[in-house]
Amino acid sequence: MVSINYAFREISCKVVYYGPGLSGKTTNLQYVHDRVPAKSRGDLISLATEADRTLYFDFLPIHVGDIGGFSTKFQLYTVPGQVFYNATRKLVLRGVDGIVFVADSQTAKMDENIESLANMYENLRENDIDQQAMPIVFQYNKRDLPEISSIEELEKILNPEGRPYSEASAVKGVGVFDTMKRITKLVLEDTKRRTSGQQPMSSPAPNEMLVSSGPVSQLPKAPTAGDGWNTGRHGAGAVAVEEPSVASKVARGQISESASTSGPIETGLPGRSRQSAGRETGAPVMSAQKSTRIRRRQRSLFDRLFGWLFGR
Amino acid sequence: MSPGTFVLYQEQVDRINAALLRLLKKAEAKCALLADQDGHLITRQGFTQSLDTTALAALLAGSFASTREIARLVGEPEFSVLFHQGVRDHIHICLVGERYILAIVFDDRTTIGMVRLYAKETADRLKELTMPVANARADLSADFTASAGAQIDSMFNE
Repeated sequence: MVSINYAFREISCKVVYYGPGLSGKTTNLQYVHDRVPAKSRGDLISLATEADRTLYFDFLPIHVGDIGGFSTKFQLYTVPGQVFYNATRKLVLRGVDGIVFVADSQTAKMDENIESLANMYENLRENDIDQQAMPIVFQYNKRDLPEISSIEELEKILNPEGRPYSEASAVKGVGVFDTMKRITKLVLEDTKRRTSGQQPMSSPAPNEMLVSSGPVSQLPKAPTAGDGWNTGRHGAGAVAVEEPSVASKVARGQISESASTSGPIETGLPGRSRQSAGRETGAPVMSAQKSTRIRRRQRSLFDRLFGWLFGR
Repeated sequence: MSPGTFVLYQEQVDRINAALLRLLKKAEAKCALLADQDGHLITRQGFTQSLDTTALAALLAGSFASTREIARLVGEPEFSVLFHQGVRDHIHICLVGERYILAIVFDDRTTIGMVRLYAKETADRLKELTMPVANARADLSADFTASAGAQIDSMFNE
């Protein structure tokens, strides 16, 4: 949730880099950290394992400067991509204002991309976040490698709704800033819209001013008035999609997450813990009076036993 | 309040700062900071010059979020207080209502008991002070989006 603090004239927004394991989320943050002047950023904090895999999250605060009289800050987070860290991913998504989905472009990684995207939508739902209103930018990373899927194929499968995307090679720094520009502008545009009392954006295409940077030719065509994500948007983007893809079905809840993926995904807390939590709250509480009576009775029995053993 | 945004006004923050200062004086703690559960720092008081309070707020929020899940796993609705003991400095963290976290850093000049006592009192006060103002709205300037576009382009210029 965007925090607007009038005392410090400060706006603070949270952006999360999501995606499968080893897709380059942390590399994105490392590049931003290395290239942004030190006065405009904080330290990069990585809660990682000994093997440098993200355990909880990476965190990088960025200060983009004074915008409309407010000192504007972005807090960039990554999630751990490995499947079994889902409980952690869900926590990091809390209060998110914008998401960069970092997809691995390698053909062999397509299933992992689909699984991670389905998991992201599921976690947004579990956090009661409206995914339709959430600013999301796709980053197709590792474009420098051989054996990669075409942009058309990635768009068709992962982004049938035509949200903005960037091509990137994060390890070389290509496309990292372009992605940053897109997501930060989308988030601030969304903030402005919300504070003006307007409805959250229902169209994925940001306004012309906001997408003027970067490879414009790759962007989906701007929608016509009233052309929302759910209403015929799918054929209007850079890629014409004739049939709803697996990802779009997953996104709309037509396919359950487990049905769309080959392996099981941990989706939050085990049912047992929730049941036990329910039992805790629903359990009858012993009244103080009753427990005092029991304690008094126990003491009396104890006294009699003690007297019988040592009294005679 | 606009959906998806949380607005805090000058007067609210002034009162929060006054409550934090009172807490520091009574509990003889080093510094106190208030953050929200999304990891945004709201305000801070005391000796915070040597602390990276932005990172601290994000880590506190992360710590509290994971603690909440641990609580649920063991069948508790919430662990409302966290305490970390160091060699010189210690930190006491507690929830303020549904949305905020109060963190107090203190050393051996005071005791955990004193800090807990005044933290509880202050948390109750802060809960009232951080209640969302009815019909709160942020008035961002008309050229906010254009200004944002220009600023971001210049910042992330390759």
